[in-house]
Amino acid sequence: MPINLSTNTKPTWCPGCWNFQILAGVKNFLAKKIKNEEDKKNYAIVTGIGCHAKIFDYINLNGINSLHGRVLPTALGMKIGNPKLNIIGFSGDGDAYAEGMEHLVHAARYNANIKYLVHNNQVFALTVGQPTPVTETGFKDKTTPQGVKLSPINPIKLMLSAGATFVARVYADAKQIEEVLNEAFKHNGFAFIEVIQPCLIFHPDKNYKEKTYFLKDKKHDDKNFEQAMKRAQEFDYLIPTKKTKIPLGIFYREKRKAFEENIK
Amino acid sequence: MRYNILIGGEAGQGPNILTQVLGEGLVKNGNHVFYSRNYQSLIRGGHNFNILTFSEEPVLSNDSKIDILVCLDNKTEEIHKKNLKKEGIILKGNDSNMYYAGRIFKLFCLDFKLLENRLKEIGNKFKENLSEAKKGYEEETKTVCKIKKQSEDHIFLNGNQGISEGAVKSNIKFYYAYPMTPATPIMNELASKKDVNVIELENEIAVINAGIGSSIVGKNVMVGTSGGGFDLMTEALSMTGVAEIPIVVYLSQRPGPGTGVATSTSQGDLNLALNFGHGEFFRIVLAPGDPKEAQELTNQAFYLSQKYKTPSIILGDKHLAESFYTIHEKSSFIEIKNKTPLTRYNSYEKDEFGSATENPEIIKKNIEKRNAKAKEIKIESKKFQNYKLFGKKDSKNLIVSWGSTKGAIIDSIKNLNCGFLQILYLEPFSEKIKEEILNKNLILIENNTSSPLSELIAKKTGIFIDDKNKILRYDGNPFFADELKYEIEKRLK
Repeated sequence: MPINLSTNTKPTWCPGCWNFQILAGVKNFLAKKIKNEEDKKNYAIVTGIGCHAKIFDYINLNGINSLHGRVLPTALGMKIGNPKLNIIGFSGDGDAYAEGMEHLVHAARYNANIKYLVHNNQVFALTVGQPTPVTETGFKDKTTPQGVKLSPINPIKLMLSAGATFVARVYADAKQIEEVLNEAFKHNGFAFIEVIQPCLIFHPDKNYKEKTYFLKDKKHDDKNFEQAMKRAQEFDYLIPTKKTKIPLGIFYREKRKAFEENIK
Repeated sequence: MRYNILIGGEAGQGPNILTQVLGEGLVKNGNHVFYSRNYQSLIRGGHNFNILTFSEEPVLSNDSKIDILVCLDNKTEEIHKKNLKKEGIILKGNDSNMYYAGRIFKLFCLDFKLLENRLKEIGNKFKENLSEAKKGYEEETKTVCKIKKQSEDHIFLNGNQGISEGAVKSNIKFYYAYPMTPATPIMNELASKKDVNVIELENEIAVINAGIGSSIVGKNVMVGTSGGGFDLMTEALSMTGVAEIPIVVYLSQRPGPGTGVATSTSQGDLNLALNFGHGEFFRIVLAPGDPKEAQELTNQAFYLSQKYKTPSIILGDKHLAESFYTIHEKSSFIEIKNKTPLTRYNSYEKDEFGSATENPEIIKKNIEKRNAKAKEIKIESKKFQNYKLFGKKDSKNLIVSWGSTKGAIIDSIKNLNCGFLQILYLEPFSEKIKEEILNKNLILIENNTSSPLSELIAKKTGIFIDDKNKILRYDGNPFFADELKYEIEKRLK
């Protein structure tokens, strides 16, 4: 009998929100991965604050709906407190790249065996549309009537530089999410997975999807750091032009001792 | 007879290990010893000094006047000579710390073998240290041989060691911290313990959130810091109020605001401890006054946190943390049972399933449940000693204080017509305190400038303390017993 991961809580995401794709992908993956009801206890989820965090209420697993930006240290404490626990952390781009940036950089260094999905819709959606550190230059909202003047950061480059041992990007598509989690769970260490996710209301898909391609189709060597860095630079999070290509899949993976292996 | 020895020198000359070796030697010979550390925020050079006070009677503080001035450098004599008693002795002319250990061992007829063994234990530069110690021992011509009883059961401990010991007795599994004076030495203490993980993370925000993570998977956790680091933790601590998560926090005070004075002492954060974090929830705040109380209150903090799934603050300060006390009574500990299974925790108000809710009925029910828990904590706390009374209990004069001022107060009131009420549980605040302080000539003593304890007493009992009866020290230093005695005497009726 398949594991029931559903809850009675009615989702409050906008109708058609791309978060439903992420939820479906995660649930499909977990339903196959978790052996039985008892085995559910070996899995936990951690969320931050923002639209992404509502996922906590739609997956019937233990864990914590934590504070804005604090997913990674919370998950770290849980993992080293109970190394047998399989933990998936969820953050938004505000959560991961603004409020919690210091934790993200250090999480890459610590390399605890945590799987981390960043729902990157390039906007603070739940607070109705302000720019985040990954919003494209020129983006306008009520707080930036003249348009955003700054350049966005490139989280893939950042994670590679910080020493992350598993760096991937997928589109908000249930199948891609399931596949990348399958790979991430084979990796004994921190897995950084960015999900390019349009926000229907405040940051719709700006022709991103048609610009994407899969790294595996281009014979990308995910053990090669220089290649990974090169691929990471192909997309700078600005409005796509004719030349823009958005690589999807696993940029990089390497083996390194996991943080929790040092615990007494 | 109380002897005060001031040992001064540059950082790096080893005034601390000299003070420690002397303290241990004196304790082993049956004395009661207390020493405090006064140092600057630098690594080499500057001027550091320790004051060691000892006697055959219990000693819990220093005096302002010095009997023996040990000068590892010239600056020490320049700065401290003014505090030397008329009959006081100056030891100088050598920059080796262990030379003075030899001289003082001779001066007080301490067994040289004790010193030799201790130097062997230290290991580093053993031959050199031993030869200097021998030289000092031989060169000293005076002796003040009074004390020669052996005592094996006295323990020489500082406040940080007391808190570490209390945490170990409470089966602590994780201590998370970011280094900050004066809480940092706890990291060293606990790192050497079997089964305890000391984990240093990127900042205090990571520290408290990782602590919460380990706590919700069923581990006993403590985090430690000083004022600035604690400020960073308060958002997450507020979450433990709504999510009902046990966690013990050691807040070791130093003077603020801002960076303040990094290596001095203060009791300026009482209101911070009583009011940390946004929102309405019950905060437990316990304040030990010596290392034995540090052991016991840390254990009680774990007990109350685990039983009621709530944060507890152990409120200490630099003076308690880094001063060494002679402990001659055994501490009592309770067994801590961890009953925190991983369920669905939430920083939001939550429904029965642990999911976020905006339902007013559920929100109201949750809040009332937490209010009821606060009442239970108040009742459960009565199991423990919430306050202590010292001195002449029938006297009309009563000193009230909390935390590390205890030592100087107890030492200063020995021959005075006054009692002393030390409050250990600042929250919950015992209802009995009102009866104890009613119709007394209350004298308030605190190491701060705004006397937050008087505010707390007024809030909890309706009794106000006259400003003229407040003895406050706020220059970063602890009270000296002799000076404090003079201040108290002026206010006695």
